[in-house]
Amino acid sequence: MIRAEAITLGTRLRDVSLHLPPSSLTAVVGPNGAGKSTLLLVLAGLLKAEGSIAWMGEDLNHITFPERGRRLAWVGQDLNADFAFPVRDVVAQGRHAFGDDGEFVDAAMRAMDIAHLADRSVTRLSGGERRRTFLARALATDAKIQLWDEPTANLDVRHSLDVLQLAMKLRDEGRAVLISLHDLRAALCFDQVLVLDQGRLAASGKPEAVLNPELIQKVFGVRARMGQEMILELP
Amino acid sequence: MKRLWAPAWLLALLLVLAFMGSLAFGEVRLAPPEVLHVLMGRGEGLARTVVLDFRLPRALVGMAVGAGLAASGVLMQSFFRNPLASPGLLGVSTGGALGAVAALALGWASNSVFALPAASIAGAFLATFAVMALAKREASAEHLLLAGVALNALFGAATSFILNLTAGQFEVTGQIVFWMLGGLENRTWAHVWMVLPGTVLGCLLLLPFGRALNLLSLGEQGAQSLGVNVRQLQWEIIALSTILTALATAVGGVIGFVGLVVPHILRLGFGPDHRRLLPLSMIGGAAFVLACDLITRFLPGELRLGVVTALLGGPFFLWMLRRPA
Repeated sequence: MIRAEAITLGTRLRDVSLHLPPSSLTAVVGPNGAGKSTLLLVLAGLLKAEGSIAWMGEDLNHITFPERGRRLAWVGQDLNADFAFPVRDVVAQGRHAFGDDGEFVDAAMRAMDIAHLADRSVTRLSGGERRRTFLARALATDAKIQLWDEPTANLDVRHSLDVLQLAMKLRDEGRAVLISLHDLRAALCFDQVLVLDQGRLAASGKPEAVLNPELIQKVFGVRARMGQEMILELP
Repeated sequence: MKRLWAPAWLLALLLVLAFMGSLAFGEVRLAPPEVLHVLMGRGEGLARTVVLDFRLPRALVGMAVGAGLAASGVLMQSFFRNPLASPGLLGVSTGGALGAVAALALGWASNSVFALPAASIAGAFLATFAVMALAKREASAEHLLLAGVALNALFGAATSFILNLTAGQFEVTGQIVFWMLGGLENRTWAHVWMVLPGTVLGCLLLLPFGRALNLLSLGEQGAQSLGVNVRQLQWEIIALSTILTALATAVGGVIGFVGLVVPHILRLGFGPDHRRLLPLSMIGGAAFVLACDLITRFLPGELRLGVVTALLGGPFFLWMLRRPA
């Protein structure tokens, strides 16, 4: 779905190559400032960098803006809401490149548990509700590639699990989903993990192979110890 | 779009009332039937002269100025994602003011009626190009904003400098001050043809931008990720808003707060959706400027339009700042 070769952007990203196949759920982890958000911006075509990026086998530079909007959805970390749009209008913006509205919008609002907020102004939402609104906007695009930058930040445990479960469902529908995360335990249930460290790809592959105590010590500077823990799951 | 019609009719009614008022009231007071009579091509003598030669061009210029400034304000607010932004922010108004003041000080304005508007438009575009050059090509809205602040200060200083230089020439200084306070007195059909076609065209070109402006006002990157060519849209916004502001400043002088107050009130009343806000602001801006111009005729002394809009807009702006979001 996405293939990136030798992405370099100053010192923020250095020679990063990656491949997100169809039906894949990939986590990007790394310390603050490792380049996770920058990588997502570059892959989404929102920030120019050296190297080449292809979406669905086509060079990104050859894809028109509306077509980009149909193929890929991106949700950033900073969610601006300076204007009092109702939640439903914001979610419906996901259909901009299609020029329609319809069932995708309502389904996306149900999936993100914000149907009851449809007429509420986005300026009057909590941080978590606002994040779910912008995630719903991305879902409403029905795009085959989904890039979410720390989607579980400021979500409560229930809605975090909802988001991760939804990501898996999108993967099972054949989409490529890339999520940046701080929660290494959550990353264990992804198909693929990319570890960024100071703009470089320190490791990538199956989570159980990549997220070993040596690498975690080296990249994050903390000791990882496997042991008994509280398991949280959706009912 | 059903939700557009109710407020649009209401504003259109206000506009018609303000329009009829500006044709009827003044030193010579006419009854509405008399005004209608003249508008339908009949009537004669004093009423005909007053309406067709003086008040109708003045009202048409006022409507164009109001619609252009309010639409320009909507564009700036969406561009900067800030409901408090306004056309003066980029230095466009002060650039236009500098051009006009230069035309007055150098005596060009007394040679031709077109000299002052032409200089004003040139000044406004100079300001826009300077902002773009200062802010570089791939600049963020913050960069543009800061470049605008710097240019506003620079153009303001240059205007004061010219005012200083002409300190001995009372007639020129008087003209400059008169113009800097903004007004619609003595507007002729030449002014109508200067401002009306460009403003109408600019406003029509803007109407299809509503959807894209909605996306832009919630973030540049998000808008681009959903399929908007943000860079191109921003250039179009800047160009159209400069033209509308320059045309308005060229025929009406410096008239502040229209682009700030009108869109803001309408946004509070009818929501931020630009598909509604743009047309409503155009109608509302036209009605607001006509109403303020009417006020200048009722108050004692030669009160200027720019003073009235500022006296109404200033307190409103302060109230907005104090109001919780």
